[in-house]
Amino acid sequence: MSGTPDPVVDAYKAGIDRTLLRENLKRSPEERLRALQELQAFAEELQRAGQALRERNQQ
Amino acid sequence: MNDFERILAGLRSAEVSFVIVGGVAATIHGSARLTSDVDVVYERSITNIERLVTAIAPLNPYLRGAPAGLPFRFDAETVRRGLNFTLITNAGPVDLLGEITGVGDYAAVFAASEVVSLYGATYRCINLDALIVAKRAAGRPKDLEAVAELELIRSEKPGRT
Repeated sequence: MSGTPDPVVDAYKAGIDRTLLRENLKRSPEERLRALQELQAFAEELQRAGQALRERNQQ
Repeated sequence: MNDFERILAGLRSAEVSFVIVGGVAATIHGSARLTSDVDVVYERSITNIERLVTAIAPLNPYLRGAPAGLPFRFDAETVRRGLNFTLITNAGPVDLLGEITGVGDYAAVFAASEVVSLYGATYRCINLDALIVAKRAAGRPKDLEAVAELELIRSEKPGRT
């Protein structure tokens, strides 16, 4: 089920940090999901901060 | 923020036959990419659809991206008449899928799934090979980017090349 080589997929691979994947693979699946939820919360906080900054700049 | 545990525990508690797919499945396999919705493929029998509604209805589901106020009733009849539902709920975005491109319906996805332990329980999650097939079949740029990462994860796992 590996499929044939795809130049687009291969191009994306060059930009992926494998050390990050290796660290992730040391975690259990549940730990990976909890880390994802923390990342989501951080992303939402950044979005809120960005929105507040834009609103301040428009005043 | 998405409450994965609440969504999955609700489905399990209602004895819904389902398989975790999509970005959450990718995370389970080791992906470091950010995803915001829980995607599951559910079995389409009447009994299972009723169980699905029992699990999801308390989360106040609404069609994601639809204008506010649009008439939408999440009941067994609605699910029976449809197939794939992209919802926003009190516990975050949830995609309920009757089938996925490249793999097929619940039976096909179940056959290509494995058991994973989460939050003190066991769930079925699409296996890495089938997830790569599904992402490749979906074919959007973000899917192909996911394929690249998943193929690298596969190459990092013991016994795989």
